[in-house]
Amino acid sequence: MDIQLDRTNDGKIKINRPTRGQKSLKWILIATAIFTVAGFFMMDYSGLVLSQAIADTLNNLYQMFLQPELSQVGFGTAMSQVVVTLSLAFLSTILGAVISLFLAFGTAVNLSKPWLSTLIKGVITIARAVPTVLWVLIFAIAAGLGSIAAVIGMMFHSVAYLVKAYSEAFEEIDEGKIEALRATGSSYWQILFQVVIPETKSYLISWTFLRFEINFGVAVAMGAAAGAGGIGYELFMSSTFYYDMNEVGMITIIILIVAIILELIANRLKIKA
Amino acid sequence: MATQLKSRSKVTEKKADPVIFNFPEEAQLEETIERPVIMQVKNLHKNYTKDTKVLKDINFDIREGELLSIIGPSGAGKSTLLRTINRMIEPTSGEIIFGDENITKLKGKGLRKMRTDIGMIFQHYNLVDRLSVFENVLHGLLGYKNSLQGILSLYSEEEKEKALEIITELGIEDHIYKRCDELSGGQKQRVGIARALIQDPKIILCDEPIASLDPRASMVIMEYLKRISRERGITVIVNLHQVDVAKKYSDRMIGLNAGEIVFNDAPEVMDQGIVTKIYGSKADELIVE
Repeated sequence: MDIQLDRTNDGKIKINRPTRGQKSLKWILIATAIFTVAGFFMMDYSGLVLSQAIADTLNNLYQMFLQPELSQVGFGTAMSQVVVTLSLAFLSTILGAVISLFLAFGTAVNLSKPWLSTLIKGVITIARAVPTVLWVLIFAIAAGLGSIAAVIGMMFHSVAYLVKAYSEAFEEIDEGKIEALRATGSSYWQILFQVVIPETKSYLISWTFLRFEINFGVAVAMGAAAGAGGIGYELFMSSTFYYDMNEVGMITIIILIVAIILELIANRLKIKA
Repeated sequence: MATQLKSRSKVTEKKADPVIFNFPEEAQLEETIERPVIMQVKNLHKNYTKDTKVLKDINFDIREGELLSIIGPSGAGKSTLLRTINRMIEPTSGEIIFGDENITKLKGKGLRKMRTDIGMIFQHYNLVDRLSVFENVLHGLLGYKNSLQGILSLYSEEEKEKALEIITELGIEDHIYKRCDELSGGQKQRVGIARALIQDPKIILCDEPIASLDPRASMVIMEYLKRISRERGITVIVNLHQVDVAKKYSDRMIGLNAGEIVFNDAPEVMDQGIVTKIYGSKADELIVE
């Protein structure tokens, strides 16, 4: 029997036949490795005393995480600012989720017309490609820097993210279940709310909550970058204005604790749904 | 008729096996020719593309209260034929007359209205797994409700009572609040039948209803379908793979091969020669009896 064997240039037998994609991926990885190493050599190290720099960094980290304390901000203020940040995240997630749900019905190929699906997908992809901060700054033109621009901008990016997540969940639905309800004479909206949503509820909840966690992180950053207020603003003040490492550490720890609590709630929700 | 059904299911409940029924001989032999025609399929064609003709010039009548089975090899067009009857698949040409109306022309509300008169059950049951048995059965009523009532699951007490009655009749009343993914295959199919029955249909279409079930559960489901046709006067059209099952339960059989009807008569007439004609040369392996 004649077997078609691939051999390397020096005549050794190849044991697989990589596709085009695998080949280009291999070259991308090699190029990335070269640039990473080259990058270190091209940095400007003048005026840097390595031992001094390491010692200072360690000292800063020590002050931040082992001697955290609040000085400018009181504990009550810090807590109320955390609530402000959570509210920003919550508002943008909920508004985004409701809009996304309806857009996702139009995007899922099994529930919609092909042209509508392609149209929404196209717009959404562009919206997702633009970073959240940019969206916030764009809306700041109309609303002024502050919480309104932050919420609208974060909502915009949440929609772009959730529409993709939701519509992919919808597309997983067994076609037969939709067919069964169509056969009873059900209308389009009845099918959406009696089959599509019940079947994908756990996905919808876990995706929405994941986005809420992301939005919490973004809301912290927006407090500093877009003047949206909240704990992020306090962090910005104590680091850039007062250079207070101990307070930066304390605020970071507070944010970390909130993020961990959110993560735990998310896991609990996922199990229950 | 409902009271008759109820009393019968009460009697059978006391027996060890509440789901197997024996039909009186005269019911088995009852002539179906006399029954009025409720649907006529005329010159029905279905092409998916120019070259793939799935159904070629299908003509047959459907009579009230008969159990009609459609048999044929895989790819013969059984599922397509069944789905053109309630317009889940659009026929390319031809007419389907149902209650003095050509339903191939219906659109929107009219189409939905027509579908409420035709129930459907499936091989893979097609229930919404995450909803309760009760909710799934009530889905059969959605065709009668406006969109808002459907979206918010607003069912009247009367409708709930009716659902309960049908659920009880099918012997799944112990599971009404269970999620459908907790049920066995046979139980799921009974929920499917209940969903079709609550529509108050004139016809129930069954697409391979027993293909995923074990022999015992299959028998239970076929007995139920037979009862429905006998006691409620609902026409039941069943796609089947098993010739022996079809022979046992049908009033009439239609043999489909490569999109054409090659047999349309009483099951008593069906013999090995005809089976070979429907299934081709490998037919011997199909007959288990």
